[in-house]
Amino acid sequence: MSETHAELMVLGAGPGGYACAFRAADLGQSVVIVDPRDTLGGVCLNEGCIPSKALLHAAEIIRDAEHAADLGISLGKPKIDLDKLRAHKDGIISNLTTGLKGIAKRRKVTHVQGRAKFSSPNAVDVNGTTWTFDKLVIAVGSRPAALPGWPQDDRIWDSTAALELRSIPKALTIVGGGIIGLEMATVYSALGSQVTIVEFVDQIANGADADAARILAGALTAQGVTIHTSTKVTDVKVTKAKLTLSCEGGFAGELDAHAVIQAVGRHSNAPMIAPEAAGINIDDRGIINVDAQGKTNVDHIYAIGDVTGNPMLAHRATHQGHVTAEVIAGHRAGLDTTLIPSVAYTSPELAWVGITVDQAKSKDIAHKVTSFPWAASGRNLASGGGDGMTKLIYCPDTHRILGASLVGKNAGELLAECTLAIEMGATLEDIALSIHAHPTLSETIAFAAERALGTLTDL
Amino acid sequence: MSDIIASPSVRTKARERGIDLEQRAKQLGRTHITLDDLSNTVPMGTGSSDHGKYWDVDHAQYGPVTDEPTSRFAQVASANLGAANAMIPQVTHHDQADVSQIEAFRKSLKSEAAERGIKVTGLAFQVMALARTLRAFPLFNTSLSADGKTLTYKDYVHIGIAVDTPYGLMVPVIRDADRKGIFELSRNISDLAKRAQDRKLGPDEMGGASMSISNLGGIGGTAFTPIVNPPEVAILGITKTKMEPVWNGETFMPKPMTPLDLSYDHRVINGADAARFMTHLCKLLSDPRHLVQI
Repeated sequence: MSETHAELMVLGAGPGGYACAFRAADLGQSVVIVDPRDTLGGVCLNEGCIPSKALLHAAEIIRDAEHAADLGISLGKPKIDLDKLRAHKDGIISNLTTGLKGIAKRRKVTHVQGRAKFSSPNAVDVNGTTWTFDKLVIAVGSRPAALPGWPQDDRIWDSTAALELRSIPKALTIVGGGIIGLEMATVYSALGSQVTIVEFVDQIANGADADAARILAGALTAQGVTIHTSTKVTDVKVTKAKLTLSCEGGFAGELDAHAVIQAVGRHSNAPMIAPEAAGINIDDRGIINVDAQGKTNVDHIYAIGDVTGNPMLAHRATHQGHVTAEVIAGHRAGLDTTLIPSVAYTSPELAWVGITVDQAKSKDIAHKVTSFPWAASGRNLASGGGDGMTKLIYCPDTHRILGASLVGKNAGELLAECTLAIEMGATLEDIALSIHAHPTLSETIAFAAERALGTLTDL
Repeated sequence: MSDIIASPSVRTKARERGIDLEQRAKQLGRTHITLDDLSNTVPMGTGSSDHGKYWDVDHAQYGPVTDEPTSRFAQVASANLGAANAMIPQVTHHDQADVSQIEAFRKSLKSEAAERGIKVTGLAFQVMALARTLRAFPLFNTSLSADGKTLTYKDYVHIGIAVDTPYGLMVPVIRDADRKGIFELSRNISDLAKRAQDRKLGPDEMGGASMSISNLGGIGGTAFTPIVNPPEVAILGITKTKMEPVWNGETFMPKPMTPLDLSYDHRVINGADAARFMTHLCKLLSDPRHLVQI
């Protein structure tokens, strides 16, 4: 066997790719992982999930410091050393990517740096070297979508650039009120930017529960963020002093900004690896359709993660990666769930899993709704949390939980209980009868269940 | 969302063992499937059970072989038959009916039937006699609940007819067979059989039978043991009618005798019930006048 042959080749070292590579190595495969970066971890670790959370944590400290005055603690106005904050964020990234390198080494996974392109169904070209393989997993992820027709300018950022923390623009406009846009609004407004969000549809966090999104919108507005929904950007003018966006719809007029973030979704990177040379089908959005085993239309080639479509989330990719590694090792494995939690790490956090009320209505699924307002949670008030809500959607006949939407401080952490409940087929009774520690935010989930059952004594 | 409740670990185990959870839930009559429900699994077709090792043989080492994939249809049938045989304690009772008078009557109807464009078959008489017998023995027209705690009596008589097709076995159902005349039954049978051959049966034309008939009379055999088609509690097998000497008290007379085999669910039906049921059925078949008297 020549040294440019891989038993299993994984293209892309993001959370899907490395999870797949490591699991496959644990199952006895000899694995080569290819990625253009010299670090493992992909977008998630290098310019996505993790750096954004580092900045969001900083934002939380700034807000907590402001809030401290209400508690009789004066900390003064926070001074922000942008270079130090950036270095802190980069330190976390480097800590984690170094850790990943060590894990890869222990598993004897070979990391090849470079861009891969198929040259045939059995070979890829990586920076001029031909690699052959027995089996291959495509995990090349996605990149921020750019709005067509916009000019080139250093002050027009995508999410990657926004996380580089180049500056704190005085006025920042974010085009796109999805999870990424909302998180960037949370960061930059805490850092002192005057943030405006322009969203095309009629609610921010499209796809989330409408009531929960409304509570988040209220909180962001109170933090000084301006939100324009049902608004379309029709033109962008660039001058030396500023960027001017012309808008129509919900907000009609011009918005001046010193920087603009485009956060209008992500595009699959599949077209960049010449899938046609291997005969792999992709659709017009660059998505590779796969089955529960991660199989593409080509027998020995699999795909996982963002290239397989929405939702483009790291935790989905990781699970797909494990399943596909097991399938390749000859196990009878398959992705047996469609339940993928979503979290916006905003302030407050917005988290949801399973069906929403709107989805239940549009799909004609029998359902009932119960909720608990966080204004009545002792722990939330004591911990300085603001407005929040826990909402459960359940089957009226069986009381089985079908969906959950939470908004409030740490809502993302609370979501796991709801995900487990749905996966296990738990009912309102199961949740209400499980003793939740007092005082915790998790009680709001039990309270919502008790409220539906008529056993609640906290409202 | 699926109506079946199974935790992620149960779903994973089911996949590993090749168990279709929907199918399993149906067999058990439940929506909630636990790990225990998988470990006591019944054989579910090729290679899908814990007993797969018996079939895990390299046949090619003994001589040339060819592998053919089984159809989805065959896999479902295999799972259903395996489950029925494993879950139902079945006994088969054998009897014979003297069909000389029914045969004579059937021949006398030929010209009238031909005018109506119908062929009256012996099977139509079997369906009619079975329907009448089910009315007389309601215990045979029942279904047991999955937990064994309820026996459901049916106030209708639908008869399933097993039809051999190139795709596999199909069981279309003749509705309200007890309220239909011999011409209508004959027409129903030939229509359903033809459409079963063409694979043009609607889903509402299968299922819900009181009992089923498996008729091998046109092919041969002297007896066999059909497998009860759950949730029914009995099935009637028919093999080839043969001239046999029958003692009439003074002498042996040649009589066309039809062998009948009744397999039944012993949890619901006892041997004496089955013997009485078959005696009644044979009596109805022995004289067309009995058929109209009831």
